[in-house]
Amino acid sequence: MGVTIEEARADWVGVEFETAQYTIEEADLLDWATSVEEADPRFVDPTRDDFQAHPTYTASLTSFRMLPDGFPELGNGRGIDGGKAVTSLAPVRPGDVLTGHSLIADIYAKTGRSGTMIFIVHRVNFENQRGEQVSTVDSRIIRNSD
Amino acid sequence: MRFEDVELGDELPERHPDVSLERVRTFVRAGHHDFPRFTDHEVAKREGLPGAVVPGIMSQALLSAMIHDWAPGSRIRSLDTVFRTPMIVGTKPTCRAAVTDVDDDARTVELDITMTTEDGVTSVLGTAVVELD
Repeated sequence: MGVTIEEARADWVGVEFETAQYTIEEADLLDWATSVEEADPRFVDPTRDDFQAHPTYTASLTSFRMLPDGFPELGNGRGIDGGKAVTSLAPVRPGDVLTGHSLIADIYAKTGRSGTMIFIVHRVNFENQRGEQVSTVDSRIIRNSD
Repeated sequence: MRFEDVELGDELPERHPDVSLERVRTFVRAGHHDFPRFTDHEVAKREGLPGAVVPGIMSQALLSAMIHDWAPGSRIRSLDTVFRTPMIVGTKPTCRAAVTDVDDDARTVELDITMTTEDGVTSVLGTAVVELD
């Protein structure tokens, strides 16, 4: 018999399992913002002192495994994309070196018309080279429990 | 747009962003997400998709740009989206948002945000929390 959601929560929620570093390039920030027709000069004018990354830019920094080695077989299959949430805590600027800390933030179940679904929330907490928290990116994986 | 100017139920001006192949190519290169399913219709079809798809993170960025158009200088504190239906590259999406909550103490507003296909199908939906001056 597999583990229960409660057992998986107790064993895995909050456990950091990977880190990665990213150097933020001005050209990437500019291309990102201009490609979505951003007009606010904070994001498209690199000559400004407050030039910075578009607020969801950290969502692109995802060279992480979604689940740690040894994670239990909760539900069926690899799961589907349940959405993504980005929280901006401080500006990200060109030349910043961000470190992403990857962990399982939550595991829970919801029951609806199509049965019980298991939600696994993968989180990356990003801090800059000064140790300041700049962003959090949550990715939700949904699996059918049947 | 200042916090005092916002009322519950306000709708943001609609946006009809350009999701042409050229724009998507620029975006995925900037985000280091340059996968063929985003930039090559034939590859995407072989993967079972109707065509090359706009990356979910590009949809988030397009919705963010709409919020900045409405309130230049505002700060998007969080943006939470669910991707329901693929948005096909080269089509004509519509971005919409409406104010669903205001927090006087934090000077933030909550927005319901959507991105729909040219057929009116909701492709992306979610919420954003935005701090205003």
